[in-house]
Amino acid sequence: MPPRRLLASRPFLVLGLLLAGWFLVPTVIKRALGISFFELQAPVHLAASHVRDLQDFWSLRTRSSHDLIAAGRDLARLNASYEVTLQQTETLRREVARLEALLRMPTLPGYRSEPARVARRDFNAWWQRLTVRKGRNYGIVPGSPVIFGGGVVGKVTEVHAYTAVVDLISSPTLRLAATLEGDTRPLSFQGANNPAFGPARGIVDYVPTDASASEFSPRRIVTSGLGGVFPAGLLIGEIVRLETSTDGLFKTGEVRLDNRLSELTEVTVLVPERRD
Amino acid sequence: MRRTVVFFLTQFLLWALVSQANHELTPWGIALFLGGLFVGLSALTFDRREALVGALAAGFLHDVGTPLPFGTHALAFAAAVVFIQHVRHRLNRHEGLVTVMVILITNLGLFLVISAVALRLLPDADRLTSRVFSDLIASQIVLALVSPWFLALQTQALRLGGCATSPETAAHG
Repeated sequence: MPPRRLLASRPFLVLGLLLAGWFLVPTVIKRALGISFFELQAPVHLAASHVRDLQDFWSLRTRSSHDLIAAGRDLARLNASYEVTLQQTETLRREVARLEALLRMPTLPGYRSEPARVARRDFNAWWQRLTVRKGRNYGIVPGSPVIFGGGVVGKVTEVHAYTAVVDLISSPTLRLAATLEGDTRPLSFQGANNPAFGPARGIVDYVPTDASASEFSPRRIVTSGLGGVFPAGLLIGEIVRLETSTDGLFKTGEVRLDNRLSELTEVTVLVPERRD
Repeated sequence: MRRTVVFFLTQFLLWALVSQANHELTPWGIALFLGGLFVGLSALTFDRREALVGALAAGFLHDVGTPLPFGTHALAFAAAVVFIQHVRHRLNRHEGLVTVMVILITNLGLFLVISAVALRLLPDADRLTSRVFSDLIASQIVLALVSPWFLALQTQALRLGGCATSPETAAHG
């Protein structure tokens, strides 16, 4: 009976109209809706992050004063070594500036370091992302590189009022130019399969055929500085397997990433400095 | 209207809990996806318009902060609602076990749809399939464990909010 059939298919008609309607909605409205929902969620991430900080604070309060004295002593030693490194860096910076002026070379891009707490980690089969507790309020811009003590963390992909979203190097959505440490030939790095209960991995392509690496003699790869996003020389990971590609022109391989990537609580965003 | 707001608040609570669980699970390389739980009760008991509004709101909560095109989760959740409402008259909706089974099957379908969309947009998708299955298995196990609690919480929240909860009073679609 046609009317009954029509009645039965009405929900699907509604769904079809909904689909068609959604595709016709202007991008501006979708964007506004997305921003609204993100800012609705942001306080939850921020509150949870602050609660975790408070938990850490109170758990540290239970430590004995002896532990505190020992930690203070270690910190003083570290500070002393960093003071020396800072002085050396300043001397090198002046030398670079002098040589640039002498050779009339364009200056290298500068970055302002912005430490940020991690509010949320979202690592699933499809992507690996972090939300950090700083956004437009600290001048963070999309595309800013993000690093930590172990090297590259990823790249800022979205910036909101008080938070920013970072794509991790373990995420298949991120690709960047790299080189073998001590080499200048560029190769391509990309996030890859992140197995359950195992460390994150990446893949490298276009590795020169004379390069070799294995689980027992891994080769470190660093950022190449090409592309202008990441400064050169930042550690990405270690190549633990290399094999010749199907065309025989290059090698492809697997990269072991830092285990600490999955437990990050604090990162540093490198905000490109404006050249006025 | 009140029922939609109360229902959205319970969805928001669930979303916040799942987000925090996923945050803590990152060192183990496991992530949970409980999409079916966001649409299960509304699809089985609400009328079409309310259930669709609930599904779209829950979908938008999932859509932000992902690299997928905005609206992917929302449309998938809406489609799930339409399919469940199409067959719900054949199901014993008063039975808790039936509701949980519907949620599990819906979650499986949503996970596969989202995976298909995500993997189509990602390069070298074939390398990611093993992780997809481990996440799916973990999600289904957790879903089976938490569904009765969350359904009870939603029902109780609707009752406290002075909203109709039974299918007879709620379902017109």
